[in-house]
Amino acid sequence: MRFSENGLYVERYTKCATCGALIYHQEKQQLLTCDGVIYCSQWCIDWKKAREARRSKPQNTTMSLSSQE
Amino acid sequence: MDVVTVNILDSTMVSICREMGIVLMKTAYSTIFSEALDFTCGLANLNGDMLAVADYCPSQIGGMPLLVKSCLREIPTWEIEEGDIILHNDPYRGGLHTPEHTFFKPIFMDRELMGFAVAIGHIQEVGGMVPGGFCGEATEIFHEGIRVPPVKIKKGGKDNVEVWKLLLANVRTPRANYGDLRALIAAVDLGESRTLQVIKKYGKSVFSEASRDLLDYSERRMRAELEAIPDGIYGFRDYIESDGVDEDRTYVIEVEVHKFGSEIVIDYSGSSTQAKGPINGTLGVATSAAYNAVLHMTDPSIPRNSGCFRPIRVLAPPGTIVNVDYPGPEVGGNTETHPRIVGTILGAMANAVPNRTMAAEGGTHSNFVFGGVDAETGDFFICYDIAGVGWGGRAFADGNDAVDSINGNCRPTPIEVFETRFPWRVEYLAFDIDSGGAGEFRGGVGYTKQMICLNDEVICSQMTDRHVFAPWGLHGGRTGGLGATLVLKAGTKEWQNMREAYGKKSTSRYSNVRIRKGDRLRLVSPGGGGYGDPGNRQRELIANDIKQGYVSLKGAEKEYGYREA
Repeated sequence: MRFSENGLYVERYTKCATCGALIYHQEKQQLLTCDGVIYCSQWCIDWKKAREARRSKPQNTTMSLSSQE
Repeated sequence: MDVVTVNILDSTMVSICREMGIVLMKTAYSTIFSEALDFTCGLANLNGDMLAVADYCPSQIGGMPLLVKSCLREIPTWEIEEGDIILHNDPYRGGLHTPEHTFFKPIFMDRELMGFAVAIGHIQEVGGMVPGGFCGEATEIFHEGIRVPPVKIKKGGKDNVEVWKLLLANVRTPRANYGDLRALIAAVDLGESRTLQVIKKYGKSVFSEASRDLLDYSERRMRAELEAIPDGIYGFRDYIESDGVDEDRTYVIEVEVHKFGSEIVIDYSGSSTQAKGPINGTLGVATSAAYNAVLHMTDPSIPRNSGCFRPIRVLAPPGTIVNVDYPGPEVGGNTETHPRIVGTILGAMANAVPNRTMAAEGGTHSNFVFGGVDAETGDFFICYDIAGVGWGGRAFADGNDAVDSINGNCRPTPIEVFETRFPWRVEYLAFDIDSGGAGEFRGGVGYTKQMICLNDEVICSQMTDRHVFAPWGLHGGRTGGLGATLVLKAGTKEWQNMREAYGKKSTSRYSNVRIRKGDRLRLVSPGGGGYGDPGNRQRELIANDIKQGYVSLKGAEKEYGYREA
């Protein structure tokens, strides 16, 4: 979250692409990016990669249900 | 520290939080606090971790840690002085939705900051497009009332008058709002004074050490509970039927629960992109709903504090229906999307922990809000009215009948109070027979409230759900009954839904419908889904259902194959 120079309003809300946590501007030096996307931690980058790999294979959840099925 | 002292301090702090709630209930002006109890009270440490909380509104309980921590990012502890009270409701900075106002007050002992007393309450009027704050057709946050970043409403024990003036100039009922805001302040004042008594009795070091140990104790107990759940990835999907704006579009809540060892990751990444209408949840909602679901599946005797939440990680991608991006609308996320998320997590875990999950509950608070100018007094009135729903059947019992949805724990306003305070006469209020889904354990039943308008005009809005997709059953249980909102205009004979009567895009979400004197409204709340094969339900339970009016003889014959002896 980036504040204006006078601190009176928010100019931009920045969130981690995986967990959605708000990232404050003062933490920007610690920001992690991967493929141009911002993350709050290496854990979130790793999770996203693992998720994509897992979802490329069918039927890998223990149970897959839907309320309308 | 010895476990006895830790337990005594835990119980003492929970009692303080309950007493804070009683003060709030007794001093508030609006029925949403005095009758519905739509608030919660807690104590937090210097990091914003919740130390203790009273058993009021679960959505606010799970939301409290993120709310306080978010405020402390903008008003750090070194800028907080004795007698300050901080106010906040911003949904994009840890908040739940615009009506939810958080107050917290520092607790200083000998000039040392020891923690915070916290009260979160649903202020029923926040300005915006509609009286009552729930605009079913909002398309941006600015339609949903005033947004308050963390500010000091009291400084050093004195009112920050400029903040008060700004707040009260932006709402339709400034007198009622003033009373309700004062009630929230009374709650944190009491929390501060009672906690100081405890610290004086035990000493600062014992209080601090016990607080730390209490969080660790809850974490250990929660980890032990999670260890007992089989490892795996569990998925489920449920739907929200409408956003009130895009006609006939449905939205997906999809969850993957990753359980490994003593930790759990709740990943919402398959959920729909954020809606145009006001059904989006905030990060606070997504987090709170995950906590709520886990607390429902685990030992209720674990002390409720931030230690419970340490093993739970929540992944709510931005720009989705579970983590709205600015300036998307969000007021229904905390009331409608939250229970849908909880139900989706419970659905995912239904095979992993069948004895600790339930079929779908009605999953809506009805959120019927109205306002207008009283023809007799000339005063503006506003009400936020909550309805109960049927809860889902469980592995050991039928679902609860006609109680507030899983994230609310609120009470419907008694008819006597409702009719005294507002210009309606309630003509009918009764359980809806056959609305509980059939099952070995039946879903709870919903109910119908029918009322006639006594004022020249009442402006009504609503944010509800389950008019289209019925609450699902589990393990062979049947679906629960649908909800409905119907109007019978004066001088007509046909009940119509909001699409038919007013050309709205949704039957369950609408804004600023003008109900005239003599018009009738009928609010039908959904029932809960059944649990287990209806064929396995004990005959004597079915007979009792018929006798008590939960199930009709015809319904029993159809759903259970029942024949009277």
